[in-house]
Amino acid sequence: MKAINRLASFIKADHRYVYLGTSAIAALGLAFSQRNPTPLSFLAPTGVFQDCLWAILWAWIVVSAAALVTKLMHWNDYRQKSPFASERCRRGARLGSYVVVAIAAIFFIDRCVMSFIDLVQVSIVSDSNPSDFLSSLVYMTYKSGDFFIRGIEITIALATFGTAIAFFLALLFVFLRIQTFDRVDNDLVRFFKSIGRGFTTVYSTIVRGTPMMVQGLLIYYAGFTVLRGMGFETAQANQIWSTFTAGLVTISLNSTAYMMEVLRGGIESIDPGQAEAARSLGLSQWQAMRKVVFPQGIKNAIPALTNELIINIKDSSVLSVIGVFDLMYATTTVAGVYYRQMEVYCVALVVYLILTLVASRLLEAFGKKLGAEAPATLPSSN
Amino acid sequence: MADTATTGVAAAAQTNEPLIRVEGLRKSFGSLEVLKGIDLSVNPGEVVTIIGASGSGKSTFLRCLNLLETPDAGHIWFHGQDLTAERCNINKLREDIGMVFQGFNLFSNMDVLDNCTLAPVTLKKMSKTEAEKVAMEHLTSVGLEKFAHAAVGRLSGGQKQRVAIARALCMNPQIMLFDEPTSALDPEIVGEVLEVMRKLAADGMTMVVVTHEMAFARTVSDRVVFMDQGVVLEDAAPAELFGNPKHQRTREFLSRYLEDK
Repeated sequence: MKAINRLASFIKADHRYVYLGTSAIAALGLAFSQRNPTPLSFLAPTGVFQDCLWAILWAWIVVSAAALVTKLMHWNDYRQKSPFASERCRRGARLGSYVVVAIAAIFFIDRCVMSFIDLVQVSIVSDSNPSDFLSSLVYMTYKSGDFFIRGIEITIALATFGTAIAFFLALLFVFLRIQTFDRVDNDLVRFFKSIGRGFTTVYSTIVRGTPMMVQGLLIYYAGFTVLRGMGFETAQANQIWSTFTAGLVTISLNSTAYMMEVLRGGIESIDPGQAEAARSLGLSQWQAMRKVVFPQGIKNAIPALTNELIINIKDSSVLSVIGVFDLMYATTTVAGVYYRQMEVYCVALVVYLILTLVASRLLEAFGKKLGAEAPATLPSSN
Repeated sequence: MADTATTGVAAAAQTNEPLIRVEGLRKSFGSLEVLKGIDLSVNPGEVVTIIGASGSGKSTFLRCLNLLETPDAGHIWFHGQDLTAERCNINKLREDIGMVFQGFNLFSNMDVLDNCTLAPVTLKKMSKTEAEKVAMEHLTSVGLEKFAHAAVGRLSGGQKQRVAIARALCMNPQIMLFDEPTSALDPEIVGEVLEVMRKLAADGMTMVVVTHEMAFARTVSDRVVFMDQGVVLEDAAPAELFGNPKHQRTREFLSRYLEDK
């Protein structure tokens, strides 16, 4: 949208580059016009009208060339001497540029958009997989649409539920992680605090230090083995410990570790004076945490926390190794069915990009509502 | 406010003992010994000012009085209860020891009124309306009743410190500790905070003030304590300490201070 506005203001401005810029657009229009018209083309049957449009584009380029020549000839006193610099001529050039842009757009719609629609129409009724890239892509996406839609649903479910579960687990874990001994704590409390801190530290180290793919495989087979050990048949075990359940558990546990560290960073960035002031009023360590430090720390951490959802959309793709029917698994399946890889992985790429862009826009709006600063860019993967 | 102070005084006067008594207080940070055996007592209604060079241990000593720093050795009795004892419920005792910090430390996730009502509502089980009524009284006494619903970040330094004082007063403390309350303020707005403290002292509040404001120490306090390198060098009435310091070190400090001024 911003780009379009900038282009519009460029054309609108009575700019001496108006010839140059519009010439490039005219050349593009000419290039489009050279493509073979499809049966859906609405310009081709008009014949003479199309030729007129074509001629106007050429005429514009010729006029621009003339303008360029006069510009080169009157380099220093262009404004005074050149006929192209006169007010009337400049107004004409601006109007002309609108016409040229419109014609180029017509050619684009006629030759590119209509031909793509034609391609889609032909491809989806095709009996066999067409050989060219775009037709094949459309054909396979259409024929395997159910696969893709199911894959997208599972990917979104894994990412959103996984992130939500991870958030609550991370809240619990970070609470254990940042415990320090207080004067009033007795030995039992101190013992439990040590255990909690030790456990969460080890947990975070292991989870963040190993690939999620390995974690997924381990969790899946471990759950399966446990169920078999409890005397379930393979089919039953598969039903209880489905690949989706295992995948959701994996992504939740994995994301918990990262979110915990994000929360810890947010909490530790709070001025220790805040907790001191609360303690000086008589609040216990827990009360000071809950009422003063946690709310501020979590607010600090919101941008990084929302990034976790985007990371999970992308990283859930590795769970396809345990057979979760996510977008990646669906894509691989379709690629296997038709034995065409490039086309379907392109589809997967575009779908992932759309998912992450939509998610980041939504989260940005959500974060703004909560009063946090928006994350600037798409985050890197874990 | 006057009522609370007098009841505090009365309670302590009955037991006929200082409100705070410190004996042999020691504290080290690593190998650096900051407090080397401090003895001091503060009677009810007394205003004690602690002066001394930076690094002399004044702030650490003050922070030990409500155990924000844990002393390594020595005893602190508050109302006859030993704070340093193993079984002491310091959270409960801190309710009676108000503290004001150099950096204000107002809770930045709350507005001014919530800053003041948090502790009374949480700890004294006051109803929200009741706590707000009390808070408004204290905010009025520091002249900030108009800012009750302002965000903390929008206040000036002097206003923040006055809110911090009101916040501490809302717990109805028996003693107020001031840790360099004006050091982070512009010279121009130091006055408004000192004015509030003067009023508090006149109302009979027991106060221990760490400060570099010599004029305040001279005019408001009942006793001035000069600390140097972790020990109390001199402890006397302001007229005596400023007029006729006994130690060479005190004279040096005061003369340098007066030169700077």
